[in-house]
Amino acid sequence: MEFPTIFWYTVLWLIVWGAVGALVTPRVYARKDKFTYQTGMLGAFVGAALGPIGLILLWRLTPAVSAKWLGASGIVVLLWLALAFAKAAPNNLCVTNGSFIATQIANGLVIGAIYGLMALGLTLIFSILGIVSFAHGEFYMLGGMVTYYATQIWFPNLNPLLGVLIAALFTFALGAIFELLFLRPMITGQIERPGEYAILVTFGLAFFLQYTTLSLVGASPKKVPRFFDYPRWKLPAETGGLLKVTPGNLTFFDAISIPSARFTALIIALVLLFVLLYFLYRTWTGKALRAVSQDRQAAAVTGINPKRMNTLAFALGGMLAGISGAALVQVFSWVPWVGIPASSRSFVIIVLGGMGSLPGAFIGGLILGVVEALGAGCVPDPHRAAAYLPAYGMIILVLVLLLKPTGLFGREL
Amino acid sequence: MRGTMRRLKILTWVVGTSFLLILPWLIPTRMHVAVIALYYAILASSWALLAGYGGQFSFAHMAFAGLGAYTAGLIDKFIRLTTAPTYACTEFPLGSWWLVIQDTASPTCLEKAKATMPMGALIVKLPAWMDILMGVVVGGLFGLLIGALVLRLRRTYLALFTIAFAEILRTAINAERDITGGPGGLKLSPLFPNGVTLLGHEFTAADKLPPYLVMLGLFLLVMALMYWLAGSRFGLFIRAIREDEEAAGSLGVDVVRYKILLFTITAMIAAAAGGMYAHYVRVIAPNMMVIKEMSVVIAMAVIGGMESLLGAAIGAIIIEFALEQLRSNITIGAFTLNMADWRLVVFGALLMITLRFWGNGLIHPIIQRITRRGVAEETVAKRLQPRAATEPEDDTRVKIPASPLEPDP
Amino acid sequence: MIQLEVNDVSKQFGGLLAVNHVSFQVQGPELIGLIGPNGAGKTTLTNLLSGALKPSSGTIYMNGQRIDVLPPYKIAKVGLGRTFQVTRAFRRMTVLENLLVPALAMHPTARQAQFVKKAREVAEFLTIDHLLNEYARALSGGQQKLLELGRLLMLDPDFIILDEPFAGVHPRLMEIIYEYIIETNKQGKAFLIISHDMETIFTLSQRLLVMAFGKLIADGPPEEVKRDPAVIEAYLGSDSDKPWQPERKTPPAAGDRIAA
Ligand SMILES: Nc1ncnc2c1ncn2[C@@H]1O[C@H](COP(=O)(O)OP(=O)(O)O)[C@@H](O)[C@H]1O
Ligand SMILES: [Mg+2]
Repeated sequence: MEFPTIFWYTVLWLIVWGAVGALVTPRVYARKDKFTYQTGMLGAFVGAALGPIGLILLWRLTPAVSAKWLGASGIVVLLWLALAFAKAAPNNLCVTNGSFIATQIANGLVIGAIYGLMALGLTLIFSILGIVSFAHGEFYMLGGMVTYYATQIWFPNLNPLLGVLIAALFTFALGAIFELLFLRPMITGQIERPGEYAILVTFGLAFFLQYTTLSLVGASPKKVPRFFDYPRWKLPAETGGLLKVTPGNLTFFDAISIPSARFTALIIALVLLFVLLYFLYRTWTGKALRAVSQDRQAAAVTGINPKRMNTLAFALGGMLAGISGAALVQVFSWVPWVGIPASSRSFVIIVLGGMGSLPGAFIGGLILGVVEALGAGCVPDPHRAAAYLPAYGMIILVLVLLLKPTGLFGREL
Repeated sequence: MRGTMRRLKILTWVVGTSFLLILPWLIPTRMHVAVIALYYAILASSWALLAGYGGQFSFAHMAFAGLGAYTAGLIDKFIRLTTAPTYACTEFPLGSWWLVIQDTASPTCLEKAKATMPMGALIVKLPAWMDILMGVVVGGLFGLLIGALVLRLRRTYLALFTIAFAEILRTAINAERDITGGPGGLKLSPLFPNGVTLLGHEFTAADKLPPYLVMLGLFLLVMALMYWLAGSRFGLFIRAIREDEEAAGSLGVDVVRYKILLFTITAMIAAAAGGMYAHYVRVIAPNMMVIKEMSVVIAMAVIGGMESLLGAAIGAIIIEFALEQLRSNITIGAFTLNMADWRLVVFGALLMITLRFWGNGLIHPIIQRITRRGVAEETVAKRLQPRAATEPEDDTRVKIPASPLEPDP
Repeated sequence: MIQLEVNDVSKQFGGLLAVNHVSFQVQGPELIGLIGPNGAGKTTLTNLLSGALKPSSGTIYMNGQRIDVLPPYKIAKVGLGRTFQVTRAFRRMTVLENLLVPALAMHPTARQAQFVKKAREVAEFLTIDHLLNEYARALSGGQQKLLELGRLLMLDPDFIILDEPFAGVHPRLMEIIYEYIIETNKQGKAFLIISHDMETIFTLSQRLLVMAFGKLIADGPPEEVKRDPAVIEAYLGSDSDKPWQPERKTPPAAGDRIAA
């Protein structure tokens, strides 16, 4: 099936006016002696959304940059894209079948929430230690692997949640040990080039963990049955028009279908997210962590031990990845390589959300989840769509790094 | 001092080259490992130039090797030279020859055309060196592009960008099966399809010695080129850029130009190695550019010493041989260690430990001990010389003038 | 004859005007001091001059050529050299290599060997000649500062910006730096020197620029500037027990302050 050119023309139109907006707007603001901060982004959004008319208005009014303007024009851009897609591929399932696309988006959000949780761990590490762990995916892989062994091999009748707990403890301990042995020397001045060292040593850790796991458990895929079978249930009781529950599936509004394994994973992720937020904003240790992320020296003066915070952050970050893996091991089959794409996703998410931004990581996760789900479900030529799946996130990563390296919520310099 | 250094350098070249030349007689059964070891040596030392000298921690090096390999492979698959026009395929006259492209739209055009072409018309592939050269050109173009795109990105961001580029390229090659063969791989003709005669001895296309010598030639050429570059202003400038881009720029170094040049040159070297490798192993798959391969090359460079081209190359050669040696399983009683996997565990651990305790690698410090012998003694000896005695007027010059604000005459 | 013309230059960082419509001119080998409270925008201004940052608005001309649109290396070639507030020697290169970089950059067709002798002389002048083959990271902080000056001597610019050259150096080194400035100025080079050391800057400079809150608030001979009420105001402030602090970009939320 040839994908009609109208879609690509629309994309081209959006890009051209977006680029014009991004390039010219800061100059217009500067000429009027107004702050140019983030006006490039605003120009890009408005240009893409409303074309030349929007830009002329923008340059006339030169309003202060606000989330409202950005959000509104962002939504308009998405609408244009959706419209062009519907025009271009009128027979596509994503256009003809509302239930299908709703299910795709819902499942994308569910998986995205777990990606977000995992990326949150990476962002936590980045904001405290100032490094990106290239072994993050391996913690995810180990979380799933340990859950598999705990619930299927070592203690066959173990409550799956206890399996998740074991995985959490294991990845936490692993993170702490690695930090103490290999990252601590960076802040004590024993390493000459800390920036490069951090990249390479975490890369080495990834390699080491992959092959240790492979050597110990082999390459055959591991499968964990879904943690919980849900009881059959309907709401309202007769028709199930709002919610229909079967052991393996949940159906909302007769349209959106989510497998129960994924739903369980979502619940685990959300609970964990709230625990994490409570920890970071309500406990002394959590506040200490945030203080260190804002100003190391000042935090040290108030009696916080930044070295301990480094260990804690790396261990916690690893644990978040581990729990994400533990939650998803019942959804996907597990091999020692599952960490590689998981790492890549986390990179995409934290760059998209803005390095070091906690809300950015979570929202970035949701966005990536939806993009992947739509990419897999809607792109014409399903074989190609599947084959290109690993590239979608990478393309986002490349574009964000080129166009706005600080991401959506990054601290601007 | 200077003279000794020079002699030492020449000695290293002579001894190293002759050792690699007689290697086939020392280990005639392991020539395959030797060829692969040289392939990795080229990649590791060019990565050392890029990352160790230039400070550009790129993870796209294997992607450039892959570009070289796939360019060679695709030319080998799709492009032919004929002595007569086919009137069926896309074709361009080229002197007395025609350059024929059997694109995916008309994959059998050449077969069909054979019937109509005059008797005795030749249909040949491009010689291997030509498609490797094309691979180098393509690799260089992409190196230029990536170099230009990553100018503003440092460290982690650069690493992420280059990983993304490598993954996109690999995914695309995987996905476009019709063209590249996808994960199943792409077949190539051997380096010497009709065999070759060397010193009166005839070698077939399957013999390992000729490809070894060719790979060795490339290795020596690349090493010579990189040493020349590293010793020239190029080497000085890229190291200055590695240390501090802003300071280098403020001292007149054209940072943009040298960074792009560095990416382009190292990408071309990687592509050359990739093209050569492709014609040697004769079937390539996107797997040659996975992150794991990149890890192996980086580990080799790190263990050898990132800041030394020679160290990285020696590291690569030793490690490749060691990894092959460690392949055989170890059996202790009833317990068998599957060394095919465990050796990589050892390798990963070695990488981490080297980074942690020997930041300059294991081989580079040995080289440095020889080349920088005497520097410390020299410094101490010079410091002991009384300055005032050697340059009496110096002391007066360093005095602050009584009134610096006196107007100039 | 050196000519520098800064016309109405501004630089924004996010919501902060770090340099606010600054204009001044330099004619000939002047020795100019630039002072101002912390965060006044002095370093930012030097970064704008050297091309490390691009102005948000305004223009800069040097010797008749517009330089605010040029990349830093071209500005260096037009004849502007600078040091950094924090020393930035090329740490994993030898002292000799450090000195060769600017010389080779300025002479595209020259060979390294041609500059070794000059590098040796420069190192001698700065009393670091015994360290020529040592890596710069082996040098003390003060010696690294001297090495930066040495690189400038090799670059041989007409207009030299020194950002806090006297901060934290011991008296012996200070003498050498002082000597360097005077000698080089005598050879017809102009200087813009940022310093917190009031005494030194008042005696050294022939002309003084004062910045506060990104604005250039005074420009004239040191004696005059000293009496300028705006300058006194900027330094002492209205409530003089609290030294003026630069605006923070991301103020910590209330919850972030943790009791000791
Ligand atoms: N790269 C930057 N990004 C954001 N703000 C900056 C940057 N550089 C300087 N600033 C801000 O600009 C102001 C002026 O800084 P600076 O020029 O360094 O002052 P000075 O050198 O006079 O002490 C300060 O408030 C500082 O925080
Ligand atoms: Mg300053």
